[in-house]
Amino acid sequence: MKSVVLEDVSVSFGKLRALSEVSVRAEAGQVMMLAGPNGSGKSTLLRVLLGLVHPDTGGLLVDGHATHVNRRFKEQLGYLPEAVAFSENLSGQQVLRFFAHARAVGRKRVDAVLERVGLSHAAKRRVRGYSRGMRQRLGVAVAILTEPALLVLDEPTGGLDQEGLDVLWSVLSEWREKERVVIMATHDLTLVERRVDSVCVLDAGRRVAFDSPSGLRRSVGLPLTVTFDVVAERIDEVAERIERWGRAELDRKEGVVRVAVSTEDLLALMDLRANLPGAVRSLRVEEPGMDEVYEALLNRGAA
Amino acid sequence: MSRVGRALIWHELLERTRDRWVLVVSVLFAAMASAVSAYGSSAGHGQEAAGATLTGPSLVTLASLFVPLVALVLSHDAIVGERERNTLGLLLSMPISRGEVVFAKFIGRGAALALSVALGMGTAIAIADGAQRHVLISLLLPTLLLGLAFLAIGLLISTLAPRQSVAASLVVVVWFGLVFFYDLGLLGLLVATDGGVSESVIAQLVVANPAGLYRVAMMQALLGGQALSDLGLAVDLPSVAQRGFIWSGWVLGPVLLSALILAKKRVLR
Repeated sequence: MKSVVLEDVSVSFGKLRALSEVSVRAEAGQVMMLAGPNGSGKSTLLRVLLGLVHPDTGGLLVDGHATHVNRRFKEQLGYLPEAVAFSENLSGQQVLRFFAHARAVGRKRVDAVLERVGLSHAAKRRVRGYSRGMRQRLGVAVAILTEPALLVLDEPTGGLDQEGLDVLWSVLSEWREKERVVIMATHDLTLVERRVDSVCVLDAGRRVAFDSPSGLRRSVGLPLTVTFDVVAERIDEVAERIERWGRAELDRKEGVVRVAVSTEDLLALMDLRANLPGAVRSLRVEEPGMDEVYEALLNRGAA
Repeated sequence: MSRVGRALIWHELLERTRDRWVLVVSVLFAAMASAVSAYGSSAGHGQEAAGATLTGPSLVTLASLFVPLVALVLSHDAIVGERERNTLGLLLSMPISRGEVVFAKFIGRGAALALSVALGMGTAIAIADGAQRHVLISLLLPTLLLGLAFLAIGLLISTLAPRQSVAASLVVVVWFGLVFFYDLGLLGLLVATDGGVSESVIAQLVVANPAGLYRVAMMQALLGGQALSDLGLAVDLPSVAQRGFIWSGWVLGPVLLSALILAKKRVLR
């Protein structure tokens, strides 16, 4: 599988327009993320991909060919639903063995996957006794059991502790390395930002933006934050020079001058600093947080 | 059936046998059936036929109460439970059709029901002796049929209900309605219409209910038609073909309807 495209998908639930002509594309060797607030249409779009919701218009293309969600497509699919709750009366191993039996996967693979998600020690324990994070890790185990060419994850970070997140990151890395397709929906953009290749931001059923994380940053044009650690007796001098320069917003606190500056003016600011030899001990340049980018995109979409 | 469907049947069987409610009701049924069987043996004072006429009808009455309950407990969460746990989408993301999911669940839970009936009736059979044992063995299949009819009804409720709590309430209503109040309702209808509805129509309505058909058919088989008339139960049992049609309708109808409803749903949550 080289690419999965959902093209011009529209879905209505009665009078509610859940998705309006949304198109997204996921490539092999990449992780594509659907982001958006609750009710933005992320899960609906995933359900269209899984054949659980039939769209009013639009459809699915795999490797450029129009496809239905049929058995052949499903053979290549691994899915982690949001907040999945497996049978509490069965052990983690029994749950996984059911899916293994259903998908013709051997018991060795079951043990290996349990090991991979860090549940070997609790394999024979009933799911009733699992923490929320352990249940989510069991869900990840089910999703990756068949080593699917297309991995679909709905809110995969929900309830995961650091160990669980590490497992998830390693799965994403492996799928990327093995040239498989990963599509995941989450509202937690900041947490997964560095692990995804493209982001589709949805709001109220509409596609607000679709780009790489850095592309999204560029598109909103939020300023960078430069923090100067200044020698105490020269802080007034540094602040005055930057204020006089007039192309940045300044905030000063005990030995620190913080400046918000556009990407274009960053070099000019560095020149300014070079003209103040010995005044600045160190400096730190920070890109805007993904949460700020996300908020800006949603505001732009609403406008 | 596909590989996923076959796996689902086993999974359902395994899961249901670990459900504490199913276990509780099954054990209770087994205990009461054993008590009835033991009482029949002792009351017969060694006369096997007399014991059988006591045990058989008592066990039919007991089974007509308990087996529908076990079946409804078994099936009420089959679909809506998966939906609430977010596992229905996961199931359907595998190479299996929606209809197949319904049938696999029915077969798997039907097998669990068979185990429950075998446990209940089996303990009664083990305690019984001679002719009494043969009578009880002859009850096994019709009792299972009764259970399957209610299992199918529970499955349909599970497909239609928006939440598991609603499904649980509905199966309680269905159990009381079909097992307890149906015959009373018909009697009320007869009295209220003052003969406007003929007895034959009422008799047909009695056997249209799976619990009614089971009771009448089993009582007639155990005690004979005359004994039923003496008890004031003037119900003509439909022909074997008609009975087969009624049972097929109750067992297959709700299952097919569930599969159709699930298959036609545009949106699955």
